[in-house]
Amino acid sequence: MISGTFHTSYRSDMALRRTWIERLRLGLFIAFIVLFPFVVRKPYPIFLMNQIGIATIGAIGLNILVGYTGQISLGQGAFMAVGAYTAGILTARMGVPWWLTIPIAALVTAAVGALFGIPSLRMKGLYLAIATLAAQEIILWVVTHWDAVTGGVDALVVPPPMLFGQPVNTDFRFYWVIWPLVGLTALLTANLFRTHYGRAFIAIRDQDIAAEVMGINVFAYKLLAFGVSSFFVGLAGALIAHYRSIVTWERFTIETSVLYLAMIIIGGLGSISGSLFGAAFMTLLPAFLTNVGRALQGVIPGMDELIPYLQQASFGLVIILFLILEPEGLRKIWQDIKNYFALWPFSY
Amino acid sequence: MRSKWLLVLLVVALAGVLAACGGGDKATETTTEAIKVGAIFDLTGPTSDVGKPYAEGIKGYVKWLNDNGGINGRPIDLRHADYAYKVDQAEQLYSQFVQEGVVAFQGWGTGDTEALRSRIAADQIPFMSASYSANLVDPKVAPYNFVIGTTYSDQAIIAIKWAMQDWAEQGNTGKPKVALVHHDSPFGKSPVEDAKAFAEANGVAFMSLPMPKGATDYVAELTKIKDFGANYIIIHTVSSPAATFVKDARAQGMDAKIINLNWCADEFFIELAGDAAEGVYGVQPFTPPSVPVEGHKIPTEWAKANGKDVDVHFIQGWYTMDVMTAGIRKVVEQGKEVTGPNIKAALETLTNYETGGVTYPITFTPESHRGNLGSRVYQVVDKQWTQVTDYITVEP
Repeated sequence: MISGTFHTSYRSDMALRRTWIERLRLGLFIAFIVLFPFVVRKPYPIFLMNQIGIATIGAIGLNILVGYTGQISLGQGAFMAVGAYTAGILTARMGVPWWLTIPIAALVTAAVGALFGIPSLRMKGLYLAIATLAAQEIILWVVTHWDAVTGGVDALVVPPPMLFGQPVNTDFRFYWVIWPLVGLTALLTANLFRTHYGRAFIAIRDQDIAAEVMGINVFAYKLLAFGVSSFFVGLAGALIAHYRSIVTWERFTIETSVLYLAMIIIGGLGSISGSLFGAAFMTLLPAFLTNVGRALQGVIPGMDELIPYLQQASFGLVIILFLILEPEGLRKIWQDIKNYFALWPFSY
Repeated sequence: MRSKWLLVLLVVALAGVLAACGGGDKATETTTEAIKVGAIFDLTGPTSDVGKPYAEGIKGYVKWLNDNGGINGRPIDLRHADYAYKVDQAEQLYSQFVQEGVVAFQGWGTGDTEALRSRIAADQIPFMSASYSANLVDPKVAPYNFVIGTTYSDQAIIAIKWAMQDWAEQGNTGKPKVALVHHDSPFGKSPVEDAKAFAEANGVAFMSLPMPKGATDYVAELTKIKDFGANYIIIHTVSSPAATFVKDARAQGMDAKIINLNWCADEFFIELAGDAAEGVYGVQPFTPPSVPVEGHKIPTEWAKANGKDVDVHFIQGWYTMDVMTAGIRKVVEQGKEVTGPNIKAALETLTNYETGGVTYPITFTPESHRGNLGSRVYQVVDKQWTQVTDYITVEP
């Protein structure tokens, strides 16, 4: 009897999913994603899934920087704005096909991200957080004041993305744009951390001086991390632009940056599945609380005015509880469940 | 370990309830003839101070309407929730309410109004909000947005018109100098271009200045205005920075007359600015309760009976819902199906709709959704807004 998982070839040892149960889980997840819109066939759940998908791409991007490379960033919202505005301007003003603007926007955001990553050479931790906060403010200031390019005051209206003469940005159709890109992002990121680039990122996170001693060019790799991270963040921004057909700066404020940090902390730092869990959690929790609040409307007389405050308070409370009970995030909870069933029913 | 299972349970419960809500069975419940209207309010976010009375106004109107027979017997089913001025939340709620079958929507601020603009056009949902930006009035770019307040641009033009009038009445010759200070945001910048064009066309010297975010005083801005020699200062921001600005202006002994546009011409401004508020003018499309008119009667009585406070924002919410209802009522009376496109068409036939003196008569046409072309000028006297002029109008 085999008492563990043994790999008899390099190929199976190097595989992304190394056991049949892992492959089964992934298969089930993909099946769920593929079947979901056909089963629910309602716009609201599909819309929520789209929000989760876009947030997952953004969260994976941020996780590459914060979770894997250890560089704190408060500029997430602004980098998303760069992606969204680039995609929007290219489509609305220059007539570039919408599908082409998505990779261009991601590349432009990568460049901008790398530029604002330069202070990371000299700054660490909280100091870097403040420097990226400056990036957030500067970029948003430019967006709202560079009237000739961004439209400044006015929201930037993006013509709906068309494919075969049909608009693609309905909830159902855009689902098929977002989720394959989520898959691609996850796959690329998973493989990134199997290359020497990714390992260098992790080395910098764990001990930057040791990494430098080992011959890693810390500055170059930090900039690369900023660039790669911003690439995905810009991708998320570009998707928002095409999905919502309108770009407004109020979507990309510092609150967005903090929200994404919260996503990856709650989901799990340095983890792709954690990014997905965090994105789903931070999207669904307010929706859940709002619906509980709506269900309670009129149930207890005189309580209606308190409901919005209770919603806000429970939002904070749930997050604090999750962080106290499981500081390593939802990813760890998932890990514990997997471990429990891996050994079940003889968990000793 | 037990605590972790608790968390797992929580996650599962969360997913379960969401799936139940997502099922949206409510959408098919058409046993009653209720007309569903969606609404998002800011009750806990950064604009909640004015968002709350506005929300009370909308909710109050719907309750009052339903208690008095609804629209030809059909009640309005208001689907509403707080979105805390978060764009994501606004979109979530919008999507949910549309699935539940709402035929019209009440928004709130610039953020959600702009973010939903393309979507409401695609979904054909008539939309009103408390954002009176002039770029929402052209049906070619915003076909389903209806603006019931005088736009910020028009308010600024009315302020300049009044300034010219007042300047002449005071026995001065020539033209006054006007400065416009504004919130540093799309909301604040929105009237600048139009006001400038109007001032220049009338030979009025004009300057505009953004109020820096988070400033604790406006001494630097006031120095610039003093150097410019402004006789009139138009303030377009929200109450709290406006109060700080006015206090600073008084402290510096500025003798220029100050005119607040609607978001700072309210009761909060008087409360925050205290004695400094005395003598400040305001352009306000909605008649404040301190100047009683016929249209205040029903909301004031309803509010008294239900223990709500009445301020200008309550009235504003009440009549925004009233105008939307007027459109829906037309559709019902024509015997047509109550749908977004039908409500839009009905609203576009609304001509000189009377709000009992609360606003200038409202008119929408298929070419223009700029419903309100006039505002009165008010002044703070003894901690109350009092009427100074009758309606000053702008060209259609």
